[in-house]
Amino acid sequence: MKIQHYLKLPIILAATAGLVASASAKDIKLLNVSYDPTRELYVEFNAAFAKHWKAKTGDSVTIDQSHGGSSKQARSVIDGLSADVVTLALAYDVDAIAERARLLPPDWQKRLPNNSSPYTSTIVFLVRKGNPKGIKDWDDLVKPGVKLIPANPKTSGAARWAYLAAWGYALKKNGNDEAKAKEFVTKFYKNVPVLDTGARGATTTFIQREIGDVLVGWENEAYLALKEFGADKYEIVTPSISILAEPTVSLVDKVAKKKGTEAVAKAYLDHLYSEEGQEIAGRNFYRPRSEAALAKFGKQFAKVELFTIDEVFGGWQKTQKAHFSDGGVFDQIYKP
Amino acid sequence: MNIERVTGVAVILATGLSWSVAQAQSQETDTKALLQRIEELEQKVRVLDRKRELDGEATTEKAKTTPVVSLGAGGFTVRTADTNFVLRIRGYIQADGRFYPDDDSPTSTRNDTFLLRRVRPIIEGTVFDKFDYRLMLDFPSGSPSTAGNNAYVQDAYVNYRPFSELQFQIGKFKEPVGLERLQSGANLLFIERGYPTQLVPNRDMGAQLQGDLFGGWLNYAAGIFNGVANGGSGDNEQADDDKDFAGRLFATPFVKSENDWLRGLGLGVAGTVGDQQGALRSFVTPGQQTFFSYITGAGTLAAPNVTADGDIWRISPQAYYYKGPFGIFGEYVIASQEVRRTAGTSTFATLRNTGWQVAASYFLTGEDNSFKAVTPRKPFTWGGEGLGAVELTARYGQLDVDDDTFPLYANAATSASKASSWGVGVNWHLNRNIKLSLNYEQTEFDGGTSAFLENGEKTVLTRAQFSF
Repeated sequence: MKIQHYLKLPIILAATAGLVASASAKDIKLLNVSYDPTRELYVEFNAAFAKHWKAKTGDSVTIDQSHGGSSKQARSVIDGLSADVVTLALAYDVDAIAERARLLPPDWQKRLPNNSSPYTSTIVFLVRKGNPKGIKDWDDLVKPGVKLIPANPKTSGAARWAYLAAWGYALKKNGNDEAKAKEFVTKFYKNVPVLDTGARGATTTFIQREIGDVLVGWENEAYLALKEFGADKYEIVTPSISILAEPTVSLVDKVAKKKGTEAVAKAYLDHLYSEEGQEIAGRNFYRPRSEAALAKFGKQFAKVELFTIDEVFGGWQKTQKAHFSDGGVFDQIYKP
Repeated sequence: MNIERVTGVAVILATGLSWSVAQAQSQETDTKALLQRIEELEQKVRVLDRKRELDGEATTEKAKTTPVVSLGAGGFTVRTADTNFVLRIRGYIQADGRFYPDDDSPTSTRNDTFLLRRVRPIIEGTVFDKFDYRLMLDFPSGSPSTAGNNAYVQDAYVNYRPFSELQFQIGKFKEPVGLERLQSGANLLFIERGYPTQLVPNRDMGAQLQGDLFGGWLNYAAGIFNGVANGGSGDNEQADDDKDFAGRLFATPFVKSENDWLRGLGLGVAGTVGDQQGALRSFVTPGQQTFFSYITGAGTLAAPNVTADGDIWRISPQAYYYKGPFGIFGEYVIASQEVRRTAGTSTFATLRNTGWQVAASYFLTGEDNSFKAVTPRKPFTWGGEGLGAVELTARYGQLDVDDDTFPLYANAATSASKASSWGVGVNWHLNRNIKLSLNYEQTEFDGGTSAFLENGEKTVLTRAQFSF
């Protein structure tokens, strides 16, 4: 009788421990590996999500951020950086993680609305106050003596979007003449004195190092520069036509599963599509997807005709191979 | 006249004024061009500065992932920038001489000889930060390779090191017992290890928990092994199903003390317990001559055979002390083994052999003495100031065979019941990589009637050791 009593003791203790463990709130850590200019967006969004998750589950969640050129960030994840989620500048970089590291399924893009792109942006020009070089559209960028500051398309998502925007403009202007488009983009990069690895680095070059006449990059980054460094110093020039840049987000399934953070990481990405998430995107100068947030924040953006990568280039895989792979068009036209 | 004069003056003035305006306009143009030129030059300088800045960032970024390659006295090392992966290639070679001044007989086994005592390449390192590995091979003179003991593979193990307090090692390595046995073969005080080492296990296949507790002053190790005979090594148990358990506690309680007199004290105890079957090893002198062997034969009445057959246990208290150039260590071993004498029928006995030694050394050149490798203050240079490190050594030790061994288990005529040896020597560490040693050892025996056992052994041993 007594022995049976003692045998029950560890079972009771284990059950109690289990109950206590399940009843107590958890401290969860996530790592969001993102591209260069999303620092401010995710600082605000992470705080909002942590509050939302605490209210919903009682658990505390801390989200660490990692930023850099989008392709460079993708390579870090492939090489073992334990990202629960990636929020990168373009779908190709997430594809690379799926293909080379097999950390997420190939059809990852279908798992969230809008092809897993909760907000969009485009490529615009930031010029110095008074627009001393008289920049109005893409053609002005290839004039002799105009110094352009984009980032490096081999490492930066923004830079790839900028390259494609310039190429797309030239195609449309020249009746889809690829040779003329190549000539145009060659002239464009002849006007580039220095290439940074990421969009934020290019902003530093243009604003803090006072190099160049035009920063060619993210619309959100340009507005942020106006906000932070003063509208009395810079102006935004929106070209007649540009590209619809669709940054994408995804759960890194295998890492999240291993860390036991799948549920919260999924909820984190879902929350980007919530009204709160969309408002935060709009407040940080990204173009929200939701009608309500777009109505609220859309007025701050100039009207511009946008084309998509699928329409003009036939998707990222084809574009990457033709333009940005080793020996591709960019390597042919850019000689530092 | 006046009109002409006025007109002339007016023309002169107008000409001068227009020249001045043109001059001013030209100067303004020049200034603008100059300013533009300055601005262009400034831009060029900024671009160059920025490029240099970006190159610096790229170099720093690259350094984070570029492996570091180094070559030095400690060998060849490659490590990743985060040190999570390390590969080290090193090794050592010992070229020995053994001389027996009082033995000229060509029929004796005591032949003066040169030999390669140890030829050991070592590959070791770390993978994924916490997994250390080591592979040490050995190709000495006359090295045998058998199914039961592949002498070529000395160490082959992986040590998982989640914490310094708790580590798990698996593979072939030294059982944690003998103090001098646990000292690297490259750092020995004398050319050959002393008697206690012949009563403890050498290398064996097994798994071991180990770690450093309380900030490092208490080291523990406990493992399960195939089990080997006294002084033996093995990597494939062929004689029995039983396993040996070995453990060791070694404390350096004052290692972090400010007190110089206590800091170098270390003391501990080690032991094994298990069951051992199979062949028993002979005992040898410092000159590596056999002075004791168990009886071996076909197991018949005419040719009896003695093997290990039953319980085995060993216990070994041990200690060292180092203070400045002086160092001393000592250990004592009791090794008990149940043995079987097969001579048609079987007879059993439990034999308890003991061994001990005390060894001391002193660096004439003032280096701090240590259980580990010593680095000379001034490496030797021909004709220069550096002399290297010169170390004088002395030791005394005994191995006492259980009296019950005779006459059933060993031949009292050809085997001694006790050996007592003293030795002196000098080690000259030319630098971290080269060490020359000279030992004189003299041994006396109790028991035995052969000329060798009655006369004792005098031997001169030399060694040239090169490690890298």
